[in-house]
Amino acid sequence: MKAILLAVVGLLAVCLPASATQCHVNPVNIPKEWVTMHRNCRMSMRQQIQMEVAASLQYLAMGAHFSKDVINRPGFAKLFFDAASEEREHAMKLIEYLLMRGELTTDVTTLLQVRAPERKTWEGGIEALEHALRMESEVTKSIRNVIKSCEDDSEFNDYHLVDYLTGDFLEEQYKGQRDIAGKASQLKKLMDRHSALGEFIFDKKLLGIDI
Amino acid sequence: MKAIFVAVSCLLALTGTLAADTCYQDVSLDCGQASNTLALPRCNAVYGEYGRHGNVATELQAYANLHLERSYEYLLSAAYFNNYQTNRLGFSKLFKKLSDEAWEKTIDIIKHVTMRGDEMNFDQRSTMKVERKNYTVELHELEALAKALDTQKEIAERAFFIHREATRNSQHLHDPEVAQYLEEEFIEGQSEQIRKLAGHTSDLKKFITANNGQDLSLALYLFDEYLQKSG
Repeated sequence: MKAILLAVVGLLAVCLPASATQCHVNPVNIPKEWVTMHRNCRMSMRQQIQMEVAASLQYLAMGAHFSKDVINRPGFAKLFFDAASEEREHAMKLIEYLLMRGELTTDVTTLLQVRAPERKTWEGGIEALEHALRMESEVTKSIRNVIKSCEDDSEFNDYHLVDYLTGDFLEEQYKGQRDIAGKASQLKKLMDRHSALGEFIFDKKLLGIDI
Repeated sequence: MKAIFVAVSCLLALTGTLAADTCYQDVSLDCGQASNTLALPRCNAVYGEYGRHGNVATELQAYANLHLERSYEYLLSAAYFNNYQTNRLGFSKLFKKLSDEAWEKTIDIIKHVTMRGDEMNFDQRSTMKVERKNYTVELHELEALAKALDTQKEIAERAFFIHREATRNSQHLHDPEVAQYLEEEFIEGQSEQIRKLAGHTSDLKKFITANNGQDLSLALYLFDEYLQKSG
């Protein structure tokens, strides 16, 4: 009798961990044929997301610089803080796309890293705008490279992603670059002879104030 | 006599550091010089010894960085719950909202740092910073809620810490402006956020244990639906 009891208790002890409180539903298997993105394309998309995040942080640093009391250019600060949020949204859009294509079921944690921006100060508005323009050109170039790696795959031409990047992202890049370039040249002309006043007036213009 | 002289010079030294017309002195001095440069080093937004004593200034920079890091971590959690296998759109929405809020706060703190005459340092970390091991966003529902609750508490407790540093009532550390900023923009909302997340874990806990765990899969599904519809 005692032996049976012991055996039962022993059995319970062994079985208990198995019936421990379960807090989640076990993963299920469903067909994966529809998940078609290829490795090179996926990797370049992941790098692109990290690049957009890095750009968002660099723009934050620009916003911080022009917010300083000794710089006092709230219009530029607003322009760059808005640009930072825009870059963050680009990263989110790319993430959304990967999710739509059945990606990001694993390796999500390593997708992006927050690193302090490289640069913290700029000579003035022109230098910052020119830096922004160079940065956007780098992003554009990188998107073109993503397109290449998603298109050139001999086994799988990712038409849809290529179309999305071309139609949505490149479109926005080219428009954004034109906007910054226009601002930079306008400011440069304005500052040709009246540098201090020129930057002041341009900054207020960015804030939407006419003086 | 000598004692009085010492006392007076001490008083002068003290008022010297607190004097409000130092920018004016710079202007008077520099504008009288035969030079076409103006340094005016004391014509700035710094007052109340901000950044000169204690750690409020650096902690505020670190607080912006904490929000920035959390913002992108929450974004990854939102992404994870939105993949086709997890497919918990309510949980995804919850984390997306946390991410958006942390991002907005990041910009707001940076603006506040510069408002007080300081500059932003993206490398600054808090003395309260805890190193985390095995960080991952790939968690199941209750684990993720628990992480959200813990990290929100960390953010709230950090606000308490900076508030304490700003209001120690010492002559050099008292900074009611920072204290007020923290109270109004952070502390109030944080308590509500924490209560909400704690409430979610209480609900999930009940669903998971109820009916010998038989409700689990339906409970998670329904709770996710609820999160999609609630704010």
